[in-house]
Amino acid sequence: MTALLNDEALLSVEALLSVEALHVAYGRVEAVKGISMRVLPGQTVALLGANGAGKTTTLRTLSGLLRPTAGTIRFAGQSLERVPAHHIVRAGLAHCPEARRIFPRMTIEENLRLGAFIRGNEDLGPDLRQAYERFPILGERHDQMAGLLSGGEQQMLAIARALMCRPRLLMLDEPSMGLSPIMMQQILRTVAELKDAGTTILLVEQNAQAALALADYAYVLETGRIVVEGTGAELLADERVRVAYLGEG
Amino acid sequence: MSVTVLLQLVENGLVLGAMYGLIAVGYTMVYGTIQLINFAHGEIFMLGGFGALTVYAWIPGVAHLPLFAALPLMLLGGVVVAVAAAVGAERLAYRPLRTAPRLAPLITAIGLSLALQQVVSLWYRLPGGGNAKAPVAFPSFGGKAFDLGGVLVQRADLFTVIAAAVCMAGLAWFVARTRSGRAMQATAQDPDTARLMGIDPDRMIVVAFAVGAALAAVAALTQGLRYGQISFDMGFVAGLKAFTAAVLGGIGNVRGAMLGGIVLGLAEELSSGILAHFRDTAQYGQAWADVWAFVLLILVLLLRPQGLLGERVADRA
Amino acid sequence: MFQRSLAVLGAVAGVCGLATACGSRSQSAHTASGSGGGATVVKIGLDAPLTGGLQALGLGMQYSAQLAVDLANKQQAVPGVTFQLVAKDDQASASIGEQNAAAYVADPGVAGVVGPLNSAVAQSMQSVFNQANLVDVSSASTNPSLTQGPNWKTAKTRAYPSFFRDITTDAVQGPFAADYVFKTLGIHSVATVDDGQTYGVGLVETFSAEFKKLGGQIALAQTATANTTDYSSVISAVKSSGAKLVYYGGEYPAGAPLSKELKAAGLNIPEMGGDGNQDPTYIKTAGPASNGDFATVPGAPLAALPSAKDFIAQYQAAHFPAPYAIYGGTSYDAAESIILSVKAALAQDGGKMPAGDAFRSQVEKAEQAVSFDGATGPVAFDQYGDVGSKVITMYKIENGAWDQGVYSGAFAG
Repeated sequence: MTALLNDEALLSVEALLSVEALHVAYGRVEAVKGISMRVLPGQTVALLGANGAGKTTTLRTLSGLLRPTAGTIRFAGQSLERVPAHHIVRAGLAHCPEARRIFPRMTIEENLRLGAFIRGNEDLGPDLRQAYERFPILGERHDQMAGLLSGGEQQMLAIARALMCRPRLLMLDEPSMGLSPIMMQQILRTVAELKDAGTTILLVEQNAQAALALADYAYVLETGRIVVEGTGAELLADERVRVAYLGEG
Repeated sequence: MSVTVLLQLVENGLVLGAMYGLIAVGYTMVYGTIQLINFAHGEIFMLGGFGALTVYAWIPGVAHLPLFAALPLMLLGGVVVAVAAAVGAERLAYRPLRTAPRLAPLITAIGLSLALQQVVSLWYRLPGGGNAKAPVAFPSFGGKAFDLGGVLVQRADLFTVIAAAVCMAGLAWFVARTRSGRAMQATAQDPDTARLMGIDPDRMIVVAFAVGAALAAVAALTQGLRYGQISFDMGFVAGLKAFTAAVLGGIGNVRGAMLGGIVLGLAEELSSGILAHFRDTAQYGQAWADVWAFVLLILVLLLRPQGLLGERVADRA
Repeated sequence: MFQRSLAVLGAVAGVCGLATACGSRSQSAHTASGSGGGATVVKIGLDAPLTGGLQALGLGMQYSAQLAVDLANKQQAVPGVTFQLVAKDDQASASIGEQNAAAYVADPGVAGVVGPLNSAVAQSMQSVFNQANLVDVSSASTNPSLTQGPNWKTAKTRAYPSFFRDITTDAVQGPFAADYVFKTLGIHSVATVDDGQTYGVGLVETFSAEFKKLGGQIALAQTATANTTDYSSVISAVKSSGAKLVYYGGEYPAGAPLSKELKAAGLNIPEMGGDGNQDPTYIKTAGPASNGDFATVPGAPLAALPSAKDFIAQYQAAHFPAPYAIYGGTSYDAAESIILSVKAALAQDGGKMPAGDAFRSQVEKAEQAVSFDGATGPVAFDQYGDVGSKVITMYKIENGAWDQGVYSGAFAG
């Protein structure tokens, strides 16, 4: 729906997430070199780039697992640069990490309950039912060890788990990585459904074609810097993007 | 060798093993959360014993209560002292070294273990001026043992087994059914992702230290009751055996620690008891008890390097 | 690993000890050269476990030796000489004892050493002392091989000319106990437990040899390390062995739990030990069940000896913070013997202190010739460095306390 707004209207909407001149380093090696980006409420924003471009580093910094060396992160009116990870999720920023990272030696339901850890002792019945409706396979196997699930099922669990805290912004890191084509289609369909349901999403995805088709807005990273940005449609039409990421040319 | 003798050895082994298991849980929980072998855990166990003794000896009136009435108070004292020491050690000694190389906290733990022994040996005082440089007497149950068809069950043995069962049931409930317990498991399995769930890893580490210390204090109480004495250096042997039990059961696995303790206790008592029973093998009895215990450990680790219950589900991620 | 950690501590303590010893070398040289008027200081070492499980016995040794030194100074026993006791804690560890021995040797002011308690510690200290001809008089180590060599049963040879002891050995203590058990108690089947240490193993060995010679049966022999407190499998075996008494070779921190657990397991048979078991703490730990247990101690009961009256009175008047315990009398006499040897050595040189090593050799010679009436009786050393006395006392626990000795006598063999 935001795609329908004109530029003027876009500027007038308060950004949910705004990142200014973000720098992140591993020791002396700088992985992110001054990124600025915005995510508006209800938007789906994609972050594209090759391996090592700094996409995952950016997400890990936003969720507090890494500390920026410089720059600001504002989320829902709050500065996040110095906030520890376990407080950031309380602010409404959920991170579904790369490689899924489900808790293998706990049951599916226990994984989901952990997703809602910040909600304390609230009744999770409705949320669990919703998760099982979205991913029936999880409902069928809810008391099995999560480590026994297939890669695609683990990805479903990871997404469902991230949604359990009812986030204001969902960050998905490479949700389709390592999956069979069929499973990949299913996961991307899920992301599309979440977007249609109004979830604000920051998506890191190697499948650029799919990501740009989903995204309202996208940034392309190269070695820690944003080289191109624009709406999904604009980037799909961009010559450089077509050559570098869509395998054309 | 009569069946009664054999059953007696089994009884002895179960009781000894239950005590090992209670201590082993502390090693395994701390290892599970921060991959630290907390060599000072034996001394936490020792401090639990002295905490209990302090309540008995220093609080007026407690020594005059019937022992079963004094026990809850002593247990409380032991748990408070052990937990305070363990949490203090985590905060002051281990946390500052969280990002240091693995060897630094390990050596700190060994140093802490020596320091705690010396602190008790140098400064612990009993009413009337006695000190703890030598083993000090601990109250024990009067009265006769229960005779189950020739197999004697000491009152302290009964207490040990019941205490261990209650603690393990409580722990199982805590880990599997409570929010904090699940959070702790999550931290053990994947600390970064646990943080993404909103779990404060520092708090979970403190919980692991505290729960382990509380169980060690219970074990120390049973040790004092069974042998009638505690000493500043009792944490060394008990700690070593419990650590062995934790490895035997699969370090990081709470149920494994208890199982490892019981297997180790049974192995020690049965091997030394049976060998001591026959004239030709008597010389390989008690003197070799530790040898048999470690032979068992080596055999188990050769066949199952992950321990008896270690890593039951493969990590796919 | 505890042993290892102790060894590390010991090494540190040893280095510190050496450092202070080196420091005091220059100091004593200064005192000796600055013969302006101050008395010559002669040091007497005392090595014993002053901390740890055997502390009660070790402190009794220290204060008793201190008493001998204080009295000698007060009475000007050796004119112009002030004696000074230098106590070192060996924590009952052989390696720490060895470090302490090296520190004593390094200090030229030390004329002789009293102690240690444990035979295993004494063993490790002697080669250090012997090289420097530094006299060591043990008032508590009772293993025969220390004086009579490793083959003492068949071929006695003096192992260390610098080592003496004024306490009866286990060669007497064990057989004395065996004799008492077989003849007086009329018990013919016994189980033995030792702690695997020099003293405990030796005691059980001499006991068992004599007991078998008398026609008795050793129904079970077990070793349990000194830091064991769990004897349940040993006790099961004792039970089925039919033994009527448990003979324990070791010291009370491990001996007392054995008694407690024996009785708790429904075995109403007495435990008998050597001097290592005879301590009030034994009763405190083992509880009321220890009534009827026995322990032998070399020498006659001090309180009953006319010769010890003076020692006991002086000790009590001095208000030391710990009782003299079972080795007080022998420790007092050991310190006294060194004081007398120093006196004799000085007399030989016309009251002048000979330089360094020569002095120690002379004290060693004088010690061999020493002869006096001490608190424990006449003190004189035979060709192996042992006192002639073969008196042992059997103590029994009655009504929650060690009695005054049920039987005291010499064992002829």
